[in-house]
Amino acid sequence: MLLIPCVHCGPRNASEFAYADAVLRTPDPNAAPPAVWRRYLYMRTNPAGLASEWWYHQSGCRRYFMVERDTRTNEIRAAALPPRPADRGAP
Amino acid sequence: MARLLARSPITPLPPVVVAQGWEMSGRRSGAVLRLTDCTPLAKLLARGDGEGRFHARFGVGFGAARLLSPDLLVIGWGPGEWTLLGPPGAEERLASVAALDRDDGGDEFLSAVEVTHGHALMRLAGAAAAALLAKICAIDFSDGVTPDGAAFRSSVAKLVAEIVRHDRDGEPAYLLQCDRAFGQYLFDAVLDAGTEFGIEVDGFRPPWI
Amino acid sequence: MTSAGTPPTIPARMTQRLAPQAGELIDRGRQLTFSWDGDRYPAYQGDTIISALAACGQRVFSRSFKYHRPRGLLTANFSDPGCLVQVDGEPNVRAAHRRVEPGMQVRSQNAWPSLRHDLGAVNQAISRLLPAGFYYKTFMAPRVLWPVYQRVFRRFAPGGKVPRSAAGGYYDKRYAHPDVLVAGGGPAGMAAAAAAAAAGARVLLVEEEYELGGHLRWGDAAQLARLAELRAAVAGAPSIEVLTNSAVIGRYDDNWVAVAQRDLPHARERLIKARADVLVVAPGLIERPYVFAGNDKPGVMLSTAVRRLINLYAVRPGERVVVLTANAEGDRAIADLERADVQLAAVVDARRGEDVVAARGGGGLREVELAGGRVVEADLLVTAVGWTAPTALLNMAGVRPAYDPRAGRFFPRDLPDDLLAAGGIAGDGTLDQIIDHARAVGGEAARRARARDDRTTPPDPLPALPIDTAPSLFRSSTHGIVDYSEDVSSKDVVGAVREGFDSIELAKRFTTATMGPAQGKLELVNTVAVHAEATGRDIAGTGTTTWRPPYAPVSLGALAGRSFQPVAYSSLQPWHARQGAKPLVAGQWIRPDHYGDPAAEVRNVRENVGIIDVTPLGKFELRGPDVARLLNYLYVNKWMKLAVGSVRYGVMCGQDGVILDDGVTGRLADDCYIMTTTSSGPETVWRWIENILQTEHPQWRIHVTPRTSALASINVAGPKARTLMQRLVDGIDLDPAAFPYMRVRSGAVAGIPGCFMWRIGFTGELSYEIHAPAAYGLQLWETLLATGADLGVAPFGIEAQRIMRLEKGHFIVGQDTDGLTQAYAAGVGALVKLDKEDFIGKPELVWAAQRDDQQVLVGLQPADESIVPDEGCQIVEGERAIVGRITSSRLSPTLGRSICLGFVEPRLAAAGTMVDVRLVDGRRLPVRVMEHHAHYDPEGLRLRV
Repeated sequence: MLLIPCVHCGPRNASEFAYADAVLRTPDPNAAPPAVWRRYLYMRTNPAGLASEWWYHQSGCRRYFMVERDTRTNEIRAAALPPRPADRGAP
Repeated sequence: MARLLARSPITPLPPVVVAQGWEMSGRRSGAVLRLTDCTPLAKLLARGDGEGRFHARFGVGFGAARLLSPDLLVIGWGPGEWTLLGPPGAEERLASVAALDRDDGGDEFLSAVEVTHGHALMRLAGAAAAALLAKICAIDFSDGVTPDGAAFRSSVAKLVAEIVRHDRDGEPAYLLQCDRAFGQYLFDAVLDAGTEFGIEVDGFRPPWI
Repeated sequence: MTSAGTPPTIPARMTQRLAPQAGELIDRGRQLTFSWDGDRYPAYQGDTIISALAACGQRVFSRSFKYHRPRGLLTANFSDPGCLVQVDGEPNVRAAHRRVEPGMQVRSQNAWPSLRHDLGAVNQAISRLLPAGFYYKTFMAPRVLWPVYQRVFRRFAPGGKVPRSAAGGYYDKRYAHPDVLVAGGGPAGMAAAAAAAAAGARVLLVEEEYELGGHLRWGDAAQLARLAELRAAVAGAPSIEVLTNSAVIGRYDDNWVAVAQRDLPHARERLIKARADVLVVAPGLIERPYVFAGNDKPGVMLSTAVRRLINLYAVRPGERVVVLTANAEGDRAIADLERADVQLAAVVDARRGEDVVAARGGGGLREVELAGGRVVEADLLVTAVGWTAPTALLNMAGVRPAYDPRAGRFFPRDLPDDLLAAGGIAGDGTLDQIIDHARAVGGEAARRARARDDRTTPPDPLPALPIDTAPSLFRSSTHGIVDYSEDVSSKDVVGAVREGFDSIELAKRFTTATMGPAQGKLELVNTVAVHAEATGRDIAGTGTTTWRPPYAPVSLGALAGRSFQPVAYSSLQPWHARQGAKPLVAGQWIRPDHYGDPAAEVRNVRENVGIIDVTPLGKFELRGPDVARLLNYLYVNKWMKLAVGSVRYGVMCGQDGVILDDGVTGRLADDCYIMTTTSSGPETVWRWIENILQTEHPQWRIHVTPRTSALASINVAGPKARTLMQRLVDGIDLDPAAFPYMRVRSGAVAGIPGCFMWRIGFTGELSYEIHAPAAYGLQLWETLLATGADLGVAPFGIEAQRIMRLEKGHFIVGQDTDGLTQAYAAGVGALVKLDKEDFIGKPELVWAAQRDDQQVLVGLQPADESIVPDEGCQIVEGERAIVGRITSSRLSPTLGRSICLGFVEPRLAAAGTMVDVRLVDGRRLPVRVMEHHAHYDPEGLRLRV
């Protein structure tokens, strides 16, 4: 079983986590045409290589964090906290 | 109205006694490995920034536990998340310990919620406690990794549960906390895993913590 | 009972037992008896089942898989393919490994009616007609005959009989966290473990046999002395945990290593899930059988097998022996055989180009034909032709071992940092060289385990072991068995190549070579060698088949382990259990479905007052100044102006506009709200909320506290609910003007402080939903029943509630909606406020509002009042068109008729339209589309009183 390096708890068994989608940029919900919005909702690139992913530590700290995972080797290169409000501009 | 009687989700083994307003098992065991239902302990959940004012007041962060007084334990079970445990009925005392002037700290958002009724709590004590836990939880319970005072949340017997190591008189002991509705299930799972070590149920009595 | 063979007239005696041997494992002071196919046999404590039988002169232990050929000892260890037996009902026991116990009932397998007279052996005579692929080709068609084929095959199917009752035993599971896990407890494994421990590592040392030592155990005095030294070093290191009679069965991502530990005092088998920082692979080498005609005759054995028999069990393996030797191990076997007083008929030295071409005999070996035509009488033929490296664990880690033709075996290469190899798998050399190398490996493993998080330290280079040259001996000039377990011959492999299976992976599947119980350990390299010879390639170019877990057999019981199925109970469970409530499994919750008569429970709520345990309803306490913002974003309706003391119903959609959950939320104080979800929803909703708070809107100041089981939740419903509640509250004004519908009030109920209750109505009646601190839930429930006895108060269960909500037309998320049902289709379009700046699902709902092609939820009533169509029945038009479906249906005790909710196409949704439901039996049931979802009190007058 894979180990996932939780930002808060350290490495834990993958069974403690839930995959929570690829890291994506959300289009403007009030402006995006249907084709753009649905590409955001349903289409994923599924790369053979580095993928940016959200994981949720369901059985641990209950925190979301991002990882860079190589889908070919399952090597996890980096794990990071969600950006803080200051990093993403005004609320 | 009849007198209030609080009940744990874990059925007490006879003889059943009432103490501090709670129904409890009056059983006494001197076995090498003992499991005690500690659900009646008063519980308070305090939340704020990980390195914020609660951290300053309690003196511990995520992953550690500390006695604030001989009968009051504070446990960092999550980042920015502290659980205070005190004797049965001590909810108000816990609230006063976690009372901070909300306007004093600028931006930090703090809260303190009484959670006595939300969780089942049990104490596993004895030299084989770590060996038993290795049968229901994937965390390394060796002294180097999980020393006295270590606190964390993980999957225990396929349940999300909190664990803190809180030795007493040199004997290894762990407090296990889970959602109240699963209390009986977890208690039974621990007893089953402990059969090979000769585990017995021991009633709840002072010292509470 | 005795077998069909002739029972021994005198009890079996240990005629083949030798004088005491230096390394023997048997305790001659403790003799015991057991039974074999119904006859009694003596044994010593420490004997394996097979060594005990061999000591009594038995030589045939099973019949082979396909041709039912008699089979005897080959390897005399766990992998011995001819030594699978049934023990006390347990099938497929490895009898050359399992120790004999007093009173054991051992039976042979794969022989019918008996080992001696086996009908299946006719297959032997027609083996020419049973080539590889025979079953695939012959029994493919016609399909109708398959059940007949199956019955016949089952009788001849290999393996033991699985007992009908699976009461079998206790299985256990545990985790382990060694710094270093050493797979293999031979000299290299022991040396590596001791060195790792000396360097400060916590070590798990796993050995498949009952004791540490590997081949040193059958060595000479000097080797036995080294064995004692190594054992002392291991025993003296408290940080080494030794697991014997345990097998490493697999290596997975991040050194997650599965170990099967067998025959514990408290459990039949235990699965250990070990997370090792570093894995040291030291399994030793497996002696390879030689392929020639008759190589599976009882009496043909490997050199290590006879050395085990003589030295570990003091059993004389035969009377007159031919030895084929190509290496030192074979030479040592000769010495052992001479010491055991076995007559040496011939030594065939492969290093001088000599060879064996055939073994002959009926039930067992009688004569051996050598290259050049000489025929030697013998009942024992010992072969020592070379070694197979069991690289399985390395392969499972992604390593591709390289074939070295000079040594005739595979070697590890390009190991990742968390994997090391020691012992024979890594190279040859003297015992001292192997031990020194293993010590260096152990020390390095400990160092790497310490430095695991520090990737800047480069791994130390390890000393290399020499590699000896060995003759490449796989097959003689004749054809023989390659895979003993599957009865695959070298001829079958050659035939497969001829049929076009020139890839080794395909030839394996076609012939089934390496697919039996031995799983490649004995036969893989021979299969590859024969295949390579037939294709004209070399072994390196042919490659090997894939090693997959499990490396050793593991019981399903051990994989399942102790059962972990969390169950949740409400605080009222003791009462429900005492009343004999019919339990309903709802996710992890066990809830009362009803207390005997759900229809009567419905009538009592409609006429008097009922109480129901709704504790599993998902509940969250939301605190902070920004809760209204969260609710406004989460739900499709508006929340910014919910007043303290008020309650509102909300529908939550996903980003696709599909309904995710629903429930009411009440505002208890300025910065404190209680949100409810469906009973199945709290985990999903919590995750969803945390996602929003942590990743999308971290600036919102909100703390979420789950309250589902912290609060015992009881709904008091019925026209007499207010009368009952008035007797129990103090300081809460229940007057409808002061506490109207959709309001919440806090205070004490039945003397229990810290309660709150709200007026809502899933049942459609006047109702108060009380939420009390869980530890007092049982007391509250009992007080309600006692206080309202004169009002006719009675409990009701989930079924009564489901009937009443259907009478009221309330949908249930997940029952009346599915993964495609958007808010408008479910008839809650009026709640959706598209003028809000943003909320989850808004874009899709904006577009959905402009569409009119989605099926809509409607109330339905069958023309025949007595027929209740099954939930899931289709609504049809003409012969083929499906135009809707029934999602909920019940017989309403209140209305005395059948009522439904269902989806229909929008053109059929007008009130009064008649549509046809296709019943399960094919009949058509006309049903009328109703004006409202609610069949009863559509204006909601009863719940607002």
